[in-house]
Amino acid sequence: MLPFNVRLERRMDFPWWRNALTPFLSVLAALIVGGAFLAIEGFNPITVYRALFDASFTSKFGITDTLTLATPLILTGLAAAIVFRMNLFNIGAEGQLYLGAIFGSWAGLTISEGLPTILGVTVVLIAGAIGGALWALPPALAKAYLGTSEIITTLMFTFIGLFLMKYLIFGSNSAWRDTEVANFPQGRKIPPEARFEAFGNTRLHWGLIVAIGIAIGIWALIRFTSLGFDMNVVGSSPNAAAYAGIPVRRTVIIALLISGALGGLAGATEVAGRAFALDPNGLELGIGFTGIVVAALARYNPFAIIFVATFLGGIRNAGLALQSLPGERVPVEVSLMLQGAILLFAIGGEVFGNNRLRLTRRVTTADAIAEATA
Amino acid sequence: MNDTAFVLTLAASVAAAVPIALAALGELLSEKAGVLNLGVEGMMLVGAVTAFQIGDATGSLWLALFAGALGGTLFASIHAFLSVTLRANQIVSGLALTIFGTGLSTFIGKSIEGLPLATDFKPTAWGPLADIPLLGPLLFNQDPMFYATVVFALIIAFYLNRTRAGLALRAVGESPGTADTMGVAVGAVRYVHVMLGGTFAGMGGAYLVLGQVPAWSQDGTTAGIGWIALALVVFASWKPLRVLLGAFLFGFARRANFWLQGEGVEIPAEFLAMLPYALTVLVLVVWGTRDLRRRIGAPAALGVPYIRDER
Repeated sequence: MLPFNVRLERRMDFPWWRNALTPFLSVLAALIVGGAFLAIEGFNPITVYRALFDASFTSKFGITDTLTLATPLILTGLAAAIVFRMNLFNIGAEGQLYLGAIFGSWAGLTISEGLPTILGVTVVLIAGAIGGALWALPPALAKAYLGTSEIITTLMFTFIGLFLMKYLIFGSNSAWRDTEVANFPQGRKIPPEARFEAFGNTRLHWGLIVAIGIAIGIWALIRFTSLGFDMNVVGSSPNAAAYAGIPVRRTVIIALLISGALGGLAGATEVAGRAFALDPNGLELGIGFTGIVVAALARYNPFAIIFVATFLGGIRNAGLALQSLPGERVPVEVSLMLQGAILLFAIGGEVFGNNRLRLTRRVTTADAIAEATA
Repeated sequence: MNDTAFVLTLAASVAAAVPIALAALGELLSEKAGVLNLGVEGMMLVGAVTAFQIGDATGSLWLALFAGALGGTLFASIHAFLSVTLRANQIVSGLALTIFGTGLSTFIGKSIEGLPLATDFKPTAWGPLADIPLLGPLLFNQDPMFYATVVFALIIAFYLNRTRAGLALRAVGESPGTADTMGVAVGAVRYVHVMLGGTFAGMGGAYLVLGQVPAWSQDGTTAGIGWIALALVVFASWKPLRVLLGAFLFGFARRANFWLQGEGVEIPAEFLAMLPYALTVLVLVVWGTRDLRRRIGAPAALGVPYIRDER
């Protein structure tokens, strides 16, 4: 037993400098720990970090690639944020993303051809949102009517969706598969009308603008609409909400469907902006799971999500970019490891920012007697 | 009859069940203490890569297994610190653990990717017992880790239901406030069981490289077994012995293709891979409704941080 009690106390004051400093200190701590692992493996941490930073945040193409990778993360981050802030834990954005990609690419292949591009892309996005929402529907209904924990059901649906997507490309001659290429199975390419336009000669596409627009929309939904109000009340106290006449079940279902639709949109933007086909290997990157951490680090604030997603997009991009850099060979896995370390430290830092650790002397009975008789 | 495709498939399913069962038993302990840990996949990967490195360096099977278990335990302590001491959201912390574990294991496993491991667990036949029809190949011709897993499940079942410490553990998962009043150190109990969860996940990961395919590859080694283990805990309704049976069923889903193809039945591999998740949803929806939840055994305080001040 320790001779003192460790207590976590909620801080009462929130000066701006601490709010600003916490994330930086968290990232710094993560970089130090990551640097230790790098040093053990025989790399110079400073060189690696310089290369990482340059690859993602200083050159024109670095920045545009970073933003391209940030786009789906913004959407999955929003998907998590809208429900997590109501204590509803849809952790299935990953699967909803796959279904969004399946529905979106189907619409692109069958409907978009011959339409003006703006319509062709819109069709893909709407289909993707519907796909994602449909995938969230069974967990939403089970939650609302049976009280089944959405945590497990959405997680299970993620993997059912993953194998469904794999089946469509690797396991069958479905409408999604390009049957003309004989070698490695791959998805059929959607027509140009169904694709986001890119900015200049970069890979960055209009999906980013759509994602930012949706972030603003979600912020407005929470802030200004009666649905947003209902969601807040249900989130803080379902009993109070029911007493106030708010339809709790309906609000829960709608919130989960919106969340699913956002996950589906992430899949659709990946199809329309990056992969141009249903590409299981290019989609199975944990974008949905990472979105949950993005949302948590952004404290479920839609605008903060844009910045956190960009930061993580940059780290992901650096991993890819480092492979093609001349000079010291930096393994691509560094970025994956750093991403994880930063996430863990940021989660811890968040708590330290809001609370203080207090050590108090443990008073034993003997102490108390000694004190009283002294 | 013991060399028919069906019996061989069943025997292979038993072996495939071992890592799933180990990881699920660990997660069960953690969840019984009220802490959901979505980091199973990450802990298994860390266990696997540690076990490979140590096995490669020392040539000792048991040392490698121990290293894998230790790696998983230490890795789980991150989740314990974040979710118990700092009371971070368990879902977020667990997922971050999986992301970090994936990255860390890929990074330290870079140099050993695809290399073979010289030492591995081998099945031992129990003399004439191994020739018993059906039961022989299933139960009496397995490697030591299979028997260890069965023993672990029995010990955990006994611990949960028949010991004082097990009662305290269940109290912490059901009603931490009450447990605290009764003098149970809620935080300590949670720490211990989250870390034990890591021990078992690490062992399960170690077994993957020491028992199944003696090589390390980041996307091939675990292949989602950590997530299946999470499903299994629910499927088995938080009961250790059911974990064993469920693991066998889920293991069968991973190995059934060999037999089915011989029988001329073409079930796409992807559908078999979906099976554990679909069955778990079914179990949840059929038996997991609000009124029946207590009966299936979900700890009431699962996922809820315990804060004494706010009691």
